[in-house]
Amino acid sequence: MEVTITIDGKQIKARKGTMLLWAALDNGIYIPHLCAAREETESPPASCRLCFVEVEGYPAPVTACTLPVAEGMVVNTSSERVNRLVAAGFELIMSNHRLDCKNCPANGNCELQRIAKARKLRLKPKNLPVLHRDLPVDDSAENIVYDPSKCVLCGRCIRACRNHGQSVVGFARRGFERVVTTCGDVPLGESGCDSCGECVKACPVGAMSLKKK
Amino acid sequence: MKLTEEEKKTALIITRQILKEFNGNRGNLIPVLQQVQNKLGYVPPVAMEEMAAHFDIPAVDVYGVLTFYNQFRLTPPGKNQVKICMGTACHMRGAHTIQEAWERRLNIKVGETTEDREFSLERVACVGCCTMAPVVVINEQVHGKVTPTRVDGLLFSYQLDKQQTKEGGTE
Amino acid sequence: MSKGSSTAKAAYAKLQEAARQNWEKLREKPLILVGAATCGRAAGALQLMEEIRNEVQRLGLDVNLLEVGCMGHCYAEPVMVIYNEGFPPICYGYVSEGVGARIVRDFLVDGDPGIEFALAALEPNEMLPTFTDFPRGMHEKKIVMEHCGLIDPQNIEHYIATGGYASLVKALDMAPEEIINVIKSSGLRGRGGAGFPTGIKWETCYNAPGSEKFVICNADEGDPGAFMDRTILESNPHLVVEGLIIAARAVGAIKGYIYVRAEYPLAVQRIALALQQAREAGLLGQSILGTNFNIDIELFQGSGAFVCGEETALIASMEGKPGIPRHRPPFPAVSGLWSKPTVINNVKTLSYIPHIINKGADWFKSIGSEKSPGTAIFALAGKVVNTGLAEVPMGTTLRELIYEVGSGIANGKKFKAVQIGGPSGGCLPEEAMDTPIDFDSLTKAGAMMGSGGLVVLDEDDCMVEIARYFLDFTQKESCGKCTFCRLGTKHMLDILEIITKGKGRLEDIDLLVELATKIKEGSLCGLGKTAPNPVLSTIRYFREEYEAHINEGRCPSLMCKDLIAYYILPDKCERSCDACVGSCPVEAIYSNEDRIKVIDQEKCVKCDSCMVACPPQYKAVVKLSPPHLVAEREKGKE
Repeated sequence: MEVTITIDGKQIKARKGTMLLWAALDNGIYIPHLCAAREETESPPASCRLCFVEVEGYPAPVTACTLPVAEGMVVNTSSERVNRLVAAGFELIMSNHRLDCKNCPANGNCELQRIAKARKLRLKPKNLPVLHRDLPVDDSAENIVYDPSKCVLCGRCIRACRNHGQSVVGFARRGFERVVTTCGDVPLGESGCDSCGECVKACPVGAMSLKKK
Repeated sequence: MKLTEEEKKTALIITRQILKEFNGNRGNLIPVLQQVQNKLGYVPPVAMEEMAAHFDIPAVDVYGVLTFYNQFRLTPPGKNQVKICMGTACHMRGAHTIQEAWERRLNIKVGETTEDREFSLERVACVGCCTMAPVVVINEQVHGKVTPTRVDGLLFSYQLDKQQTKEGGTE
Repeated sequence: MSKGSSTAKAAYAKLQEAARQNWEKLREKPLILVGAATCGRAAGALQLMEEIRNEVQRLGLDVNLLEVGCMGHCYAEPVMVIYNEGFPPICYGYVSEGVGARIVRDFLVDGDPGIEFALAALEPNEMLPTFTDFPRGMHEKKIVMEHCGLIDPQNIEHYIATGGYASLVKALDMAPEEIINVIKSSGLRGRGGAGFPTGIKWETCYNAPGSEKFVICNADEGDPGAFMDRTILESNPHLVVEGLIIAARAVGAIKGYIYVRAEYPLAVQRIALALQQAREAGLLGQSILGTNFNIDIELFQGSGAFVCGEETALIASMEGKPGIPRHRPPFPAVSGLWSKPTVINNVKTLSYIPHIINKGADWFKSIGSEKSPGTAIFALAGKVVNTGLAEVPMGTTLRELIYEVGSGIANGKKFKAVQIGGPSGGCLPEEAMDTPIDFDSLTKAGAMMGSGGLVVLDEDDCMVEIARYFLDFTQKESCGKCTFCRLGTKHMLDILEIITKGKGRLEDIDLLVELATKIKEGSLCGLGKTAPNPVLSTIRYFREEYEAHINEGRCPSLMCKDLIAYYILPDKCERSCDACVGSCPVEAIYSNEDRIKVIDQEKCVKCDSCMVACPPQYKAVVKLSPPHLVAEREKGKE
């Protein structure tokens, strides 16, 4: 069943129950996001906290990736409250991302750059110091280079690895130490990774990249 | 810490024994991890691989669970496990000075094990004995109202115990 | 159902008859109870048991000696109760080594009850005051704690003899809707922290489609400074079991779980035993009390993660995953464990259920305040004289709780603040002392009911440090999934650490508030949404302490290590006394040419030992802040 909703004054149609984020993206309305995945309809991770929007009738901004569309919904993707919240979340992510666009393989094709451009945000955090984690770059796999200091923990590579039939990488530890890694933290080259490159395609930033030939 | 072949073999046998008692429902993963740790004192990689196969999940997911929870260890603990309670009441009554006293006396940092594997030192979340703060748990025994000087006494009593068992054993 | 219910009544009557007989038999001899919950054990309760056992044997006395749970008078541990014919039952406190044997000897052989060791009598009498004669007892209203410390938690007969499981029999005769309606109209709110109405939770689960449903008791009490759930589970586990069975009956669950944290080994033991005994008595398992109602309860042990107190994280961990919360809705009452409708209730919440079923919704509503009916159970800890557990009606003020129930501040110090609700709560100052304790008033004041931990802080406690402590805690316990909690709390902690080292800037305070507001707004789960509370409340009420650290490099409470130095007052030092020298673990103290002791500031590790060691008649060791005051003083002397 189709429903009609209004996003930023524009009327769009979407299938009832679709998450608002996908309804917006399918209609050419950009909402920043890193962790969302279409196939995770049951329980979206909702971890990056960048897709906040304001919906009429809701007391506070909500994440678009977790909100099923309903008839007559009126959405504002960039109210002042939303903008402040997204800016804060983005600054937090950037305070934990090794910023090296010039040498980064994702330069020009990076979701962080896209968000910064779309929302007129600085890539370099203004108020917050950079939190270093001192994690070494792993270039042990045949084709793939993994730089955990650039990882934004969106989990897309983990899904891609599993969809490919492998399960080499996963989340481990918790809190600030949370990391995408292999079982026992062994280098990718020793983990059974077949260098299929699916994780590289999935990575929205430059954390997983192909080796330069 | 490198494990010996012997340690790996024991770990494998014990893990398989424990897994026999559980079906492949993933809800059994944490109880299995707990039992393996109870038996071995830690959960080595061979045990993780074995569990992953049993529950039909990626080994990295077992690792993810293991590293998420405070309770699980990847390396063998000391014979005596000293746990310093870090609850609010203990903290306000000087848990950090107690921690430093242990670190000084054992010459290790929190999270480490002494070279002779006699003692390991850990911080634990509130053990619920706030009225006896600051509290130290050695093995399963709770010691209340600990002071830096009492640390010496506690350590001495455990060393004495060990000496006595040793002497008792040679008789 | 009526046939089933008469079978149940008959089966229960039989159980109760047997239990009562054995219960009364206990009193035929003198009865000694020793409080041996974890708190009692830490104070030497097991040694006390041993001592009494030996003394009784030596004297050839015929008594019943029982290990019981905790009455809540933890300040006086070890605690013991003696029932002796011709006397009221007497509760003794501070029963240190040798005292237990002496009381037993004097009382049971010579008939001298040793009132100098008595805390109070348990029943009105001519001889001794009872607990209700003291301010504490006047405020206390025991519902959940009623039998804690007075019955053997390892013996189901004690629970049954005192009326236990009668509510289950009653509930078996009620339709699920009826049970839900009673709980709904009682106004019971969840005691886990947020205060959500229990009846509505049950109703949602009951109405949710599906035949497979679960009930879970959340005993993952992780708030540092809270130990009510531990005490209840160790002292009266059957109360919780009965509450959970009734919950299962109400929502139509096919299975129940009790999720206990790993740090409570004794509670785990006690519940496991209670479940086994309930099964053997036909109160749990297949066809309960001969009816067609079946429910079994399983014990699940947590593995050490504070975040698992959050219900979706708790479910994840039971499903064999890391304890990471997920977005709600759907709420667990609709889609919980294995995506089935699941009710998750706190230990205290479930402990009220049998009482409400037994005495009715109106009785429960008559206690406490209008919007928060019933009692509140608080764990009093920190710098209060009478630490321990107190159960008081909702609406009691903080002042009454701290000064009358807790007897005020220990060691003649000045009250500074009270930390309520653990890492999700806040620090309230003197001017908030008249706040009534209920869910809504505490939240308004900037704290939170949380699960009921209450740590009293005095003039020696630094408010920046306590904020840092809680942020350190939440930061370590954050699951790390969402951006705001994972990185936001880390930044806040870093800033607080800089301030406690005296290296902060004034604008850091604003940055903290800014970060805190965003984390509250942006976080995925309750842990992140409430994590900034300790910081916000201390800035709100104690901003001047932050400013002293930043502007003067001074810790007004002399607590922050980097901002203090230990100093021996030359005119107070006794010279010939070497107590401090011997106590120093790093040989930082030496005698100068006048034999006055001096601390080598380079070597000093600020362990506090010398200050403790210096005999109280001299009090020569002091702390100074900022630390450069030491050099100034030393210069002044020259």
